[in-house]
Amino acid sequence: MAVVGDSGLPHDAGRRDALHHRERLRRKITEQLKERIGEEDIVAAGPDKRIRVPVKGTKRWQFILDRGKGGGVGQGDGEPGDVLGPPGDGSEPGEAGTEPGEEIYEVWLDMEEVEELLFSELELPRLRPRAQADAEATRTIYDDIARKGPQLDKKATLRENLLRNAKMGRPGLGGLEKPDLRYLSYRELPKPHHKAVIFLAMDVSGSMDAGRKRIARLFFYWCVQFLRRRYDQTELVFIAHTTEAREVTEHEFFNRMESGGTRVSSAFETVLEIQQDRFPAEDWNIYVLHVSDGDNFAADNRRTIELVRRLASFCSLVGYLEVDPRAGAGRHKLSAHYQKEVADLEGFVFAAAAEDRALWPALKRFFARDRVEEVVR
Amino acid sequence: MTGYTIEDLQEIDERCRTIAADDLGFDVPDVVYHLVRPEEVYFAAANGLPARYSSARWGAQFDAEYGRYQRGESRIYELIFNTSPVHAYLMEGNSLVAQTLVIAHCLGHGWVFEHNRWLGGVDRAIMPRVLAAAERIADYMGAHGRERVEDFLDACHAVAIHQPQAQLIRPAATPEPEPRRSRYDALFPDEVEADRRDVLAERTALRRRFPREPEQDLLGFIERHARGLDDWQRDIMSIVHAEQGYFLPQLRTKLLNEGAAVLCHQEIVQRLFLPSDRYWEYEALNAGVVAPHQGRVNPYNVGIALMREIMRLATEPDDEERERWSWAGETDPFEQVRTVLRDYDDEGLLREFLTPKVCEECRLYAFEHLPRDPRRIRVSSREADAVRDILIPQHSTFGIPRVEIVDADFRGRGELLLAHRHDGIGLDAEYACGTLAQVASLWGKPCTVETVKGRDADTPTWFTGHPDGRAEEHAACPA
Repeated sequence: MAVVGDSGLPHDAGRRDALHHRERLRRKITEQLKERIGEEDIVAAGPDKRIRVPVKGTKRWQFILDRGKGGGVGQGDGEPGDVLGPPGDGSEPGEAGTEPGEEIYEVWLDMEEVEELLFSELELPRLRPRAQADAEATRTIYDDIARKGPQLDKKATLRENLLRNAKMGRPGLGGLEKPDLRYLSYRELPKPHHKAVIFLAMDVSGSMDAGRKRIARLFFYWCVQFLRRRYDQTELVFIAHTTEAREVTEHEFFNRMESGGTRVSSAFETVLEIQQDRFPAEDWNIYVLHVSDGDNFAADNRRTIELVRRLASFCSLVGYLEVDPRAGAGRHKLSAHYQKEVADLEGFVFAAAAEDRALWPALKRFFARDRVEEVVR
Repeated sequence: MTGYTIEDLQEIDERCRTIAADDLGFDVPDVVYHLVRPEEVYFAAANGLPARYSSARWGAQFDAEYGRYQRGESRIYELIFNTSPVHAYLMEGNSLVAQTLVIAHCLGHGWVFEHNRWLGGVDRAIMPRVLAAAERIADYMGAHGRERVEDFLDACHAVAIHQPQAQLIRPAATPEPEPRRSRYDALFPDEVEADRRDVLAERTALRRRFPREPEQDLLGFIERHARGLDDWQRDIMSIVHAEQGYFLPQLRTKLLNEGAAVLCHQEIVQRLFLPSDRYWEYEALNAGVVAPHQGRVNPYNVGIALMREIMRLATEPDDEERERWSWAGETDPFEQVRTVLRDYDDEGLLREFLTPKVCEECRLYAFEHLPRDPRRIRVSSREADAVRDILIPQHSTFGIPRVEIVDADFRGRGELLLAHRHDGIGLDAEYACGTLAQVASLWGKPCTVETVKGRDADTPTWFTGHPDGRAEEHAACPA
């Protein structure tokens, strides 16, 4: 009977679903990366190197029999006792498969892609236009299809028309009506373009042992990577402190360690001095990130909390990360005092990271995206 | 187009159809052919049906298979859908001889779709439902986010294949225990009373059991009984369930269906009397289709061998075979093939007609995996019995382990307990854990399956999956 010219279906459906598949894969890779940001091969990769990322979570789960236990039936040459290569995969396209779907297992990414994937979820919170800063800039991304909108998606509209016609038993195009119309839908992403200064303060005292140092540096490494990649107009100020604090170069910050006790207030005092001197609050978004193991000189806690209050009153964010492998180790810790005194303070965020896995959640806490929306609303 | 028109194809269809009806007795219902681009053939192959809901799931398969096509490693000639009327895709750019083979081949599929008791039993007017489902799922993606809906679809697909199959024999319901009565009861009042109490307790426990009988329909049960699901989630479950149910008969009749289609194309093209250059082209294509696959079973090869065996039995059986099949030697070979095509599935077909002759002709062998390197295999036997012992059980469940829900209030906490009805081989640990985590995400509480360890049928083991994605193995029942 009839031989029809074609299927009457949208021609790009396959490619579109393939794109969805790749996008999904991308998200799963990002999830993997977050778990691995503490690993040396990623941090040490440098801008040119490519790293290998195994992709878990893309298997199509099904109950199957223990692989390699059941045996099977094959065709062709071979006498009993002969050992042959791997059996064919047996899967055929179009079958609602009984074979579990094995998909891509690993991908190679260069650092730029890694950072792009990771940092798309982070944002400097409470970034506000300040005097001298440029007007709010946004970039528009068309990446979806909707029933309303300014820009018609012709392909999607024709597809809807075909589908609707098909449902009423009419093959082909025709009778375009309002319910067929599909529009490109867009999102406006804020384009960071504000002046901001970030004070990165690290405890370099003797109590910061190798494990704590490592986590502290990893945390700042990702902070700096993130800020440099995503914000072109940011100033970074590096401060190292023991019982006294001083401004250091980036190289010193990441490489030098000292010994001695800990007076956290010294760091905040230095921050205040530099800020008053060089970064007036009317012109700058100000961020302070402090990392310590929390073993502060007991008599200094009151002064520290006072300074946190003062900083939080005009800073966009004051963040504190406590790096202590013995998490929750005691009441004398700085975090315990913060918890008691300033837990609800607006603009103050603190977190703990005892191991590599906790780094991403910590970054996410400090650079949470939804904070921006809160302010905008 | 390569040197032919739609009219040419139309004419080929008519000639093939006449031969099928007059010479083979295959009165084939109409088939609607679509001449489509390779990309579309491959996408429909990834979907199983055209115009199904959009999902990364199909995209993944399409990406892989279409990539193989573009690299010249694979070529699909035809795609046919068990709908009413039957629709088939012909790939644009194939030669006229290839299209001729495909059209004759599709007539075999068309007849089987219409007449086979399993394939004919599905909803063959499924297309409007498929289109409506596609639209609803697109709406859900709009409302709840594509990623969330895709995750949910994946979870549904993990267990959708576990559905009860049409069976000739159904297990009887568990009978309720009755107290024994005897004429001497009056002599032992205490014993009788104790016995009565035991039976009563047993009966109460049985009545409380939920589900009362083990449930084979995993996704269906979860859809009906899981708590805390939104309407859209239940809707998606029922869509996945229904569409998977539609595909199951195709899994159970793969050999039979391909055997019939190859038989049709071979017999029809023989009778078309093609000019010799075209005939040789056809022979080369045909040889490619039925060539045995090294290391696995080519359903086209074994399917046609089984059909030919039935025809041989119908015309030239030996004495022993005459004894075994009452019709042997006494019937028209095509009529006998049609009888089998109507009533059999792959399991029945193999049980009855996978004779030593077929095993030898198809060069079938049984193999086992090397214990140290499971990717390599060792031929264990070429005896028909050994081949049958593996191939028939594989086809009775089409490779899907039998897993049933035995308790929906496991540990008294509303958890799900599944049982693997094994045949001596346990579930794969990694896949059991992954699947259970998916089931748990649907059910909302931990789900446990009881199975055995590897080939050790005496060592039971338990896997538990949690809604948050964790999963673990237990050496003892976690109850």
